[in-house]
Formats: sequence, structure tokens, C-alpha cells
Amino acid sequence: MAAIDKHAGSARIVPLTREHDDYLHDESRSHGEAESISFPTTEGEIRAVLRALHAAGTPVTVQGARTGLAAGAVPHGGHVLNLSRMNRVLGMRRDDAGAYFARVQPGVILSELRKNLHARSFATEGWDDASLQALRALADAPEQIFPTDPTEASACLGGMAACNASGARSYAHGAMRQHVNALRLVLATGDVLALRRGEQRACGRHLTLVTEGGTTLEVELPAYEMPACKNASGYFVEDDMDAIDLVIGSDGTLGVISELELALVPAPAVTWDVSCFFTVEHDALDATVAMRHELGCAAAIEYFDGAALDVLRRQRAESTAFSSLVEPPADAACCVYVELQCASEDEALAELARLGALLERAGGSAEHTWVARTELDREALTFFRHAVPESVNMLIDERRRIDPAITKLGSDMAVPNERLHEVMDLYRTTISEAGLEAAAWGHIGNNHLHVNILPRSAAEYAAGKELFARWARAVTDMGGAVSAEHGVGKLKRDFLEIMYGYQALAEMARVKLVFDPRGQLGRGNLFDEELLDSLRQAGALDGDAEKGGA
Amino acid sequence: MHIVVCVKAVPASTEVKMDPVTNTIVRDGGDAVVNPFDASALELALRLREERRAAGEDVRVSVLSMGIPATERLLRDCIARGATDALLLSDRAFAGADTLATTHALTCGMCELGMPDLVLCGKMAVDGDTAQIGPELAGALDMACVADVRTLMACANDAVTVRAGGDAGVSLVEATLPCVLTVAKEAATLRMPSIAGVLAAEHATVDVRGAAEVGADAARIGLAGSPTQVVRSFVPEQQAAGVEVSGDAIGQARQLVRIIGEVA
Repeated sequence: MAAIDKHAGSARIVPLTREHDDYLHDESRSHGEAESISFPTTEGEIRAVLRALHAAGTPVTVQGARTGLAAGAVPHGGHVLNLSRMNRVLGMRRDDAGAYFARVQPGVILSELRKNLHARSFATEGWDDASLQALRALADAPEQIFPTDPTEASACLGGMAACNASGARSYAHGAMRQHVNALRLVLATGDVLALRRGEQRACGRHLTLVTEGGTTLEVELPAYEMPACKNASGYFVEDDMDAIDLVIGSDGTLGVISELELALVPAPAVTWDVSCFFTVEHDALDATVAMRHELGCAAAIEYFDGAALDVLRRQRAESTAFSSLVEPPADAACCVYVELQCASEDEALAELARLGALLERAGGSAEHTWVARTELDREALTFFRHAVPESVNMLIDERRRIDPAITKLGSDMAVPNERLHEVMDLYRTTISEAGLEAAAWGHIGNNHLHVNILPRSAAEYAAGKELFARWARAVTDMGGAVSAEHGVGKLKRDFLEIMYGYQALAEMARVKLVFDPRGQLGRGNLFDEELLDSLRQAGALDGDAEKGGA
Repeated sequence: MHIVVCVKAVPASTEVKMDPVTNTIVRDGGDAVVNPFDASALELALRLREERRAAGEDVRVSVLSMGIPATERLLRDCIARGATDALLLSDRAFAGADTLATTHALTCGMCELGMPDLVLCGKMAVDGDTAQIGPELAGALDMACVADVRTLMACANDAVTVRAGGDAGVSLVEATLPCVLTVAKEAATLRMPSIAGVLAAEHATVDVRGAAEVGADAARIGLAGSPTQVVRSFVPEQQAAGVEVSGDAIGQARQLVRIIGEVA
């Protein structure tokens, strides 16, 4: 540790002490270790911190709001670069077509951005004239929203870009990637790469990038093909790809995102949420397939299985904090939730009629539904949806008090559309064979469910982990992804190798070493540290480990 | 059994717009919702109907409101959630009514719907906060009234048993039917409509009647028929800005002593 107690601009690099314990873990409940920490507030301060740490090759873990579920922000030694104080909206832009863009620091919290957009009010200190003009135009424009909606609204936008977060509305709006128009990336050396969508493209699988400091990076992109489904597993690569897409979803391994330009979209005129209850899970799957074919305005298609509903029922009965939850019908074995975003009430009614008819055909019923059209009803359903993961986390915490070896075990795998029934059969059969307790919910419209094992002992936890490895192999065989939205981080690293194989992993690691020749950033994320170190060593023998271009 | 639930359209936001000339609440229909207390009353009525239906009895749940034409949308939503029928009293002559004039209009509406066995109202409205309509209706209809109902315990053909709040706490009360109950928000949470309910309600008829059509006495409705007049309504102005106390603990304590001394 060369730089402890030294100033890096005005962001001090300070020793990490007990008062910083919170910065050693994230929402994944994993714990790490580090020697120092800093809280930069500007890009200049990030650069100064990284420059100070580069000479000694100190490992650096980037943190935002620490809401990640794959331990990407949990440090593996070295320095914690916490961006939570980079929480300003820096400006706004309106293009010739009337589309709006918000320029934000990476630590801006999603819920804060939503509030600002809804109120059309921002702290504008330091904004340039063009931004102020765009804000004035926004006052008379239709309401704008940022459509990416991970369940956790306290996530920060830098973290969401780093893991290519998505959530329920990705069914219609895609993942974070589709809404990031530009970003600035501070490299481990302190140099900066500015990327704007459409401006830097690969030639086949080769990418040439020039930093603001004048360094040329020659990047040989991996040869693997990505699955044809929702995916946040490893680096995004495809022929002639846009360079910005390599950074989005890179889990903090290539550089530190210091600024993002986000594309906003007009708020839908009408948003109605519909919960559809079924007595048989197979019928819910059939209905999901029909919804994909027949609904034109579905922004989200979500699922809660019977065990998830039972957890809610228990929580509602036992906890006053959850007593205002709407109670699922007694005979409901599962629920498919659909968010309709429509241009008018007439369109929404027509869509509702289609939904009612398809439910009747699929074995459900237009009667066994909840339609939330008012703010109050929609808030009640939002509470209902968010209460599921929260209640399961509370249940796990309770069991952990009895056996500390127990921790959260939630899957994040997705498969192509035609494999939905097959993957559900896999989950049900294997969970039953293993005698485990599990609750499943998530983004069934994208064939992407979070199956959560609820272990009652350390032995069950181990059995659950084995099951996940088995699912990773089966999902890969189905052409799916081992991580669809949480990112790989440290927890799903082994699954990434199952999905792409060692050779592809080594190709990814070589990409990382072009951006970060000393392997400082996000150590332990995506790659086993031994793999990185061995490649660096081999590169040093070849004389190219620190090359990166010039 | 016939249950009438009185519902009022209130602003969705807590920021109520006032008419500076008439000093009454501006009701332009924008973002209006059913008064949350009335929503609880409707849910109690729907549960009662389910219970009695299970016992083989047919129960009619009517919703009744006085309001601007846009209130029809809210009444249609009540039908979507399970109400049998709805009547909206809408006429410029009703505008600016106080609680007594509103009571007269609603009483005329009840006659139009057919006299109920049970009248359910919200305990109060979130915009006016008077809590007067229920008791005044009971007076006008010569019925018993129980206010602030927290739980509906039982309902027979001739009496209803409830738990109701009062100055001394919660009491168990039995009232003879017909009667008026005013309902607390915590009594029940209004159910959401089903797809089938929403689609059926689109084709349902919401009766809209004017003052003359329901036989209202012109001298007892609207602003002219209101014995109480709002002289002035205003949003309280922000008091003087707060004072920030800073510095070390001793310095802050000294500042606080000085401030308290100045106020005392």
C-alpha cells in the first residue's frame, strides 16, 4: 500500500478501519477485505486516486450503492473506490428529434433520478446553458422517465451500467445497455476513455480505441457467440459491435465509469398492472407464452410461484409491517403479473379484453385477477411484488441466526423463449429430488426466474449450490445465460466458465488486460485471480503484458 | 337487502386547490379519486353481500355520489369492483353545497334508488374533514347512526353489530336497521377489480340525474341552500425560516439557551 493517508486531489485515500465495515459487503451478503478507501466526488478525484494506486499495482474495487447481488462490489484486498458521493445530475440534452438525455455521475440513485424527472426539478448548479435550455423545454414536454426498473430503486446508475441491470420492464424496454448513450471510463492508469454510442465500432472482432491521453488500445474481442436471450454473463461481444457495449456489463473490470449519458423516454399515457392467479403452474406457463404472442402493450410479465405466495401469506399474518399487504386468493397456486403501458384508455381496455380471453383459454380466469388502475392500487401491487424478495431475505436471515453457514442462494439464469417449459420442469424435478425448499419469482416474460433455495441447514445450502452448478450446465445446453441481470461478479464466476469454457474466459481476461494491464480493477470479478495472474505472467514473458498499445 | 354506499370524489393529491372567489374547493375532475374512507365503506358493503349471498340472500349494493360529470368515471370503477349499480347527482344547481345541502341532495338520491336497509359512508372526507354527512343523513332519513366504525361484527335482517371508536375508546354497538354507519379507513381495504369486472363495468349504466329529476328542493341545495358559508380558506403561510445551530457542543448549547431565552 503505497498511497495510504495521501491526498488524491481532495479525495483522501484513508486506511480502512472498523467504521468502514459496511463497505466490505454488499446486498449479496458476501464479505471481503481491504486496506484503504476513498470517496471521490469528481472525475478528477477518481483519476488522482487511480494514479496514486497504479504505481504499486494496488487492487481497486469500485463501489456504488452496494445493492448488487453477485458480490461485484465486495473488495478482494487493496482499495475500495466508493462512488456514492458522485451523486449529481450534471446536465441535460435535447436532440433535434426531441429526445431527452440526462448526464449523471455514477453514484446517482435511481429513485432520486425518478423523483427529479417526475418533478422536472434538478439541482442545476454548474449546468451549462444548453442543459438549462433543455430543462426549460422539459417543463412543457410530456413527462420523461428512465425506463430501466430493477426492483431495487436504491441502486445507483453506475452500478446498474456496470452489471447491465434490467428488471421487470426489460421485457419491453430492454436492459440498461439500451439506455446508455455515452459514458466516460477512467482507466487504471488515470487516463480517460470517452465513448459515445455509434462513434467507436469494432471491425469484425477487433476494436481500436484512443484514450484522451493519446494511448491507443488494440482489443481482440473474444470469439464466442452470446446466447439468444437476456444476458449479463461476461463481456458483451459481437461482430462490428459498438465499443460502449463492451464496458456496459463489464462488472468494474475494465475501468471506472465516471459519467453516463442516459436516454430518457416519454412516460406512457396509461399504465395498468394486472395480477393473474392460477391454480396450476403449467397453466401459468401456457398463459405466459400466449401473452408474448397476443399482447402488444405488455411492458413486464412477472411470476410468483406458490411458495413465494406462501411466504407472503405468512409474512402478512406475522408481521405488522406487512399487514397492509393485499392477500393472495386462498386457492392461488401462482401468479403472473403483467404491466400494460398503453397510449390511451381505449387501447388499455382492448388489451385487457385480449388478456382476459387468453387467460380463459390457458386455464386461468378473467375473474381471478386484480387490475390496478389507480395510483393507490398500483402502489399496493408494487408493495406486493417488492415484499416477496424482502420476505425471503428476512426468512434466510432468521435461519442464518441458527446456522451461520446458511446464506442467500438465488439463481439468475435465463433461457430462450422455446425452453420455458423445459427449464421449469428442470427446476421442479431437481428441487423435489434434492428435497429442498425453494421459492421462485421473476421475469418470466424473458424466461428469467430467480429460483431461491431456502436452506434449513448448512448441508442444504451445499446441496443448493450443487444444484445451481447443475442448472448452469443444463441452461447452457439450452442456449441460455448463467446470469441474466445481476452480473457475474464473484459469486457466478464458476458458472461463467461452465457457460463459455476456459478458452473464452482466457480471451475475456486478455481483453481486460488491454484496459487494465496490471489487473488492478475489480479483482475476483468474472475471472479467477490465478487466471489473470498467469496470463499477465505469460504476457510479460512475451513482452506484451503492459503493452496496451501506444 | 339494499345497501347504499355514499362516495365522494376527492383530489388525488393532498394539495387542494381553492377557488379564491367562492372559497370552495376547485373540483375540475383532474386526478380525482374515491375518498379513501368511502372506499373502505364500499369494501364492507361488498363483504356483507358475499356473506349473505353465501347464505342464499340477494344483496344490492348501490353507490351514490353528488359531483361533477367526471365523477361518473369513479362510479364506474366502483361497479368494476363489485357494486351493483350507481347514481350520480350532477347539476350546476348542486355546486357549492355545504354538508346540509349535500345531505338534502343525497336524501333525494336515496329516494330515487329505493330506500336502503343500510347506508354506509366514509367517516369523513380527506378534503373537507367535516365528518358531518353520515350523521346528517341519519337525521334526514330518521335512522340510527353509528360513527367511526372500525369493525363490522355481524349483520342480521333487523340489526347490525359493530365496533366503533369514540371518546372513551372502542365500543361494541348494536343498531337496529335501517341505519347509517360511518366507516373508519382501517375497517377494510377496498378490493381491486378483476378483468371481468372492468370490462363489464364499461357496459354498465351509471345513472346521472339533475336536481329537478330527483325532486330536490331548489331552496335547499347548492351554495344558495347552504346555511354555512366559507368566509375564507387559505394555505397557512410558512412561518419564519429555521435557525441553524452549529459549532461545537458547548457553542450549540449556548446558542440554544439564548434562542429559548428570546422566545420565552
